Amino acid sequence: MKAVRIQEEDFSVEEEVNTLRETSQRMGGIVTFLGCARDFSEGRDVFSINFEQYAGMATAAMQSLRDEALKIFDIMDVRIVHRVTTVHAGDQIVLIVVGAEHRKPAFEACEWIIDTLKQRVPIWKKEVTPDGDAWVTQHP
Amino acid sequence: MVKVLFFGAVADKLGKRSADAQVGLSLAELIAQLECADIQPLLVAVNQEQIQDMDYLVQDGDEVALMPPFSGG
Repeated sequence: MKAVRIQEEDFSVEEEVNTLRETSQRMGGIVTFLGCARDFSEGRDVFSINFEQYAGMATAAMQSLRDEALKIFDIMDVRIVHRVTTVHAGDQIVLIVVGAEHRKPAFEACEWIIDTLKQRVPIWKKEVTPDGDAWVTQHP
Repeated sequence: MVKVLFFGAVADKLGKRSADAQVGLSLAELIAQLECADIQPLLVAVNQEQIQDMDYLVQDGDEVALMPPFSGG
């Protein structure tokens, strides 16, 4: 499976971590970030979240995030998977897995990737709430 | 021909997901013509690359995207 993917279907954290680990036995630290759907946001219940992407540009932007992270940080490999579909509370949305010889750059790279993904990757989420649908505008 | 794509809240506001525009317009003119000038903030991409220069003149075959700020993750 590709190291950077946007897909409708769910993913397995274990499978992604294992695939990353297979790339080298010199990896001493693996950091994961798993983003999940919440049932509450902005003071109201959230029934579900619908995702939309600018296909092509979104995948390319995620791919360059990975390339950039591999250049900036002292890390060995990165995997990024983002779902674009309708998700419900507790469902998995995004996974970032970073492997490095040591933990510190792995933590730093993982945080940088999720922060930068929110700014650069053309994906949008719309929350379905009891008050109607609302596009999420901020990225806290 | 120039293809214009709308996403997220921009698509909802306009009630459509795409439109055609004339070749030779600046991005600022194109945005005004499509009644998107009052949408702020508005992110713009040409051929899947974000662009800041609103004086850019759209060319035949360009794909322009008008997008709200991203909210993935």
